[in-house]
Amino acid sequence: MMGKMRKKWVWLIPLIIAIILWEVIAIIINDPSLLPRFSMVIISFYELAIKGYLHPDISMSLYHFGIGLLAAFCVGVPLGILMGWFKKIFILLDPVVELIRPIPPLAWIPLIIAWIGLTHHAAGFIIFIGALFPIMISTYTGIKDTPKVLIDTGKVLGCTTDLKMIRYIALPYSLPSIATGTKMGMGVGWMCVVAAEMFGVSESGLGYRLFSEFYQWNQLDYVIAYMLLIGIIALILDRLFRYFVEDKLFKWKKGIVK
Amino acid sequence: MSRYLVLDKVTKIYDSNNEKVHSLIDISLEVEPNEFLCVIGPSGCGKTTLLRLIAGLDTPTTGKIMLDGMNIDGPSPERGMVFQEFSLFPWRNVLKNVEFGLEILGFENKREIAEHYLSLVGLNKVKNKYPYELSGGMKQRVAIARSIATNPSILLMDEPFGSLDAQTRNIIQDELLKIWEIEKKTVIFVTHSVDEALYLADRIIIMSRSPGRIIEEIKVDVKRPRERTDPTIVKERYRILKLLGVEIKKIANV
Ligand SMILES: Nc1ncnc2c1ncn2[C@@H]1O[C@H](COP(=O)(O)OP(=O)(O)O)[C@@H](O)[C@H]1O
Ligand SMILES: [Mg+2]
Repeated sequence: MMGKMRKKWVWLIPLIIAIILWEVIAIIINDPSLLPRFSMVIISFYELAIKGYLHPDISMSLYHFGIGLLAAFCVGVPLGILMGWFKKIFILLDPVVELIRPIPPLAWIPLIIAWIGLTHHAAGFIIFIGALFPIMISTYTGIKDTPKVLIDTGKVLGCTTDLKMIRYIALPYSLPSIATGTKMGMGVGWMCVVAAEMFGVSESGLGYRLFSEFYQWNQLDYVIAYMLLIGIIALILDRLFRYFVEDKLFKWKKGIVK
Repeated sequence: MSRYLVLDKVTKIYDSNNEKVHSLIDISLEVEPNEFLCVIGPSGCGKTTLLRLIAGLDTPTTGKIMLDGMNIDGPSPERGMVFQEFSLFPWRNVLKNVEFGLEILGFENKREIAEHYLSLVGLNKVKNKYPYELSGGMKQRVAIARSIATNPSILLMDEPFGSLDAQTRNIIQDELLKIWEIEKKTVIFVTHSVDEALYLADRIIIMSRSPGRIIEEIKVDVKRPRERTDPTIVKERYRILKLLGVEIKKIANV
């Protein structure tokens, strides 16, 4: 029993060590404009919560994130399916994809502001660019990797059209891969939130607050509190996705990937 | 109802990296309704190709394949196939795998039919399991149930028991014969086991080394249930092994 308990909580050890180190180093440096103490960050966090920043900021960021991720999913999955199934479409689109993919989402900002102005959708677009490619590429990889014998089986059992073969065979086979891509897309998309809110599409949001207020005010403790908050939210999103989506889709894969 | 299958001078040449691979040469063959035909030959001689052509998954380079006088044009649920590799849909449980063809074809009582065929292969009790939870023998039983659920007139089987242990293999052979007798289907069964062919077939076709031609046809006139040590079977076994031995030696000498 003791052993089990210990195993369950070992992840806390490096965390606690890191916090203690941080606190000690901050005390030695003794300059909050370089490194605020951990305890100070916790207090700041509490202050921010009382001032009522957290709720609007988190909701606004999740809103931007939601727009971007939803758009990335709705564009990435169908495009990925088409590219994975129809070789001709792959040959046509692949160069375009590989050209656009390496462009950092940040580089799109001027263009997007010119196109759609300082709106929530502009922030959504940055996140969309970040999340699109992981989703799209995992989708077409999954579709393309569908074992030939499964497709042949489907043909023999009456899947006569491409639509039927995609719907009944390639797509269900690719779902775990699409889920993994979506999870990666969520990760990249969330990382884009700060950048997306930096240029002032809204008067709230984690990125807006962190960059346009806390940083301008030289409140490094607030900045770090929000950095931690961004990390924690990403962690929660990841766990929720794993629990509600991935584990269910991966159930049948046990025998294949272990 | 089973139907009359005719292959007329069928040749298949694959184009692989701009190199022409002759897979089958000049195969002519007639298969009677309800016949149990076994095809045997050295590895790579085109047995899988032959089944794929009949299934409609590939088209002959020259020659014709006809069912009741009609040219075969693409795959159809009237020609079921059990593949050499495991081919269950891993995301569907056993029942849903067997329902697959019925679902595509829009059967309303798909559950009922699927359960009927599952009990025919003795697997109704594992109907909610997923493929990864099944043994090799169970997987192939499910594949058989799935391929006959849509009631094809011809069942194409590509070394379906090749990866099973000897004991499972013997049991499943008897099950297959039982199903064949109940369901009245034409079966074309590819195997590399002479014993298996002699136990199952009405007629055996022996193919040459690649590119495959038919070099011999043997009628197995032994009443079922057969003894694996029946004198006729033992005699034929010797003859087939000799024929195959010559073909395999030819491969070794190339
Ligand atoms: N899709 C294909 N493309 C190119 N060559 C193929 C293809 N399928 C089979 N072949 C070739 O045809 C020959 C017969 O193959 P196959 O029918 O699988 O033999 P068997 O099932 O008797 O072992 C082999 O030489 C093989 O390499
Ligand atoms: Mg083969």
